[in-house]
Amino acid sequence: MSDRLLRILDRISRVRGVRGSMYVAAEDGLAVAQLLMEDVNARALAAFAASLTRKVSGAAAATGSGRVRFVQMQAEQGVLLVAAGMHDLLVAVVADAGINVGLARLEMMRAVEQGQ
Amino acid sequence: MADDIRALSAELARDPSSLRYVELAEALRRKGHAQEALQVAIHGLGRHPDHADGYDALARIHTDRGELDQARGAWERALAIAPEHAGALKGIGFLFYRQGEVRKAREALEHALAADPSDDQARRALAMVKGEPPPPPLPITERSTLELARPTTGRLRPEDVPQLRATAGNIPALRPSAAGAARPAEPAPAPAPRASTPTAAPVVAPPVPAPGGAAERPPVFAGLEGATADILLLQQNGLVLAGGLRAPDGVDVSELAAAALAGVSGEAERTAGYLKLGAWTTIVAEADTANVVLAPVAGGAMLMVRRERSTPVGLAIRIAERAKETARRWLEGQGL
Repeated sequence: MSDRLLRILDRISRVRGVRGSMYVAAEDGLAVAQLLMEDVNARALAAFAASLTRKVSGAAAATGSGRVRFVQMQAEQGVLLVAAGMHDLLVAVVADAGINVGLARLEMMRAVEQGQ
Repeated sequence: MADDIRALSAELARDPSSLRYVELAEALRRKGHAQEALQVAIHGLGRHPDHADGYDALARIHTDRGELDQARGAWERALAIAPEHAGALKGIGFLFYRQGEVRKAREALEHALAADPSDDQARRALAMVKGEPPPPPLPITERSTLELARPTTGRLRPEDVPQLRATAGNIPALRPSAAGAARPAEPAPAPAPRASTPTAAPVVAPPVPAPGGAAERPPVFAGLEGATADILLLQQNGLVLAGGLRAPDGVDVSELAAAALAGVSGEAERTAGYLKLGAWTTIVAEADTANVVLAPVAGGAMLMVRRERSTPVGLAIRIAERAKETARRWLEGQGL
């Protein structure tokens, strides 16, 4: 299971600018599999990815906007991306600010599907 | 009741994905803790956005708070997910009646009765709405048979829906003194005082606009597209500051959305710190039918802008930046 997930994450890591990627359990914000550079705080990334997705999903549900599929947090020196599938697993990525978000998004959505 | 709340809270802490958030929200609501109940329901719906029972519970909480537009929206959403949901059908039926929409009330109650022919309260409420005398209770044997035949869904039973217990006290035709008297359908009765004893059924608030509704909020975003329907300024603690959000059916969902987003700004700031990303500037969420842009404004305030999915994300961000600048100037002007 973990090897398979790591292989999927490896594809995401090949996108230029990605500093780390991980599968996160949406319910409790715990990492399921991860491929991160040493300086990336895995627990913070996993916990925030789950919490942010949950809260934004609540707001989207309230406004009748449907299910949240992808979340992107832009910051001055980097970006945090989260892809959500139909089930419990999220894929979270932390990357440099100049990353090609469209490409990363494609790989992440694929990873979400393959990780189910 | 307090023990129930503790036990349910502990269970949810152990298993945050549990659907028992509905019971916890209901227990809190009955205890009079409407704000806490609202938060529990919203968080639960964040995890289970297609959970009809959750919207039903949410509607009852809104009703207790006098937020009848939001209550109606939540019940409509419950019925969009589960068209036979007895609690939602009766709840919205009663709400329609309170708002003078007798035809809609009748349709909803007829639907509820069709879904559950053993439901005495729906039967009596329907009779009242139709201007008929209240029917006698079903014979025990017949009721038992029907109840035995009712599928177990794990939902709250209709008799657990407090609005409908309140119905019996609030609607003249259903008061004990009026039993047997034929009365025509009439407009919503005057609001009754709130129940003062813990065992009394809660009483539904009168159909007045929710305090802090879109019409009462400062017109901060006037001139921007979607000023009162797609742009919301909220505080870190989940309270609305200005603007407004409406669901596709026109219901004001500002407070609901703001409550769901409570704490996001602080979490984003802390996480950006842990991950050495610098200050966060925007969060964009792509949902099935809309893109949502969040942006920090000042002093923990946060902006939420919603645009249809067909609007490119980049354009949505530009729109959010304009709204953010407007909000920043307004907050400065307010000395906030």
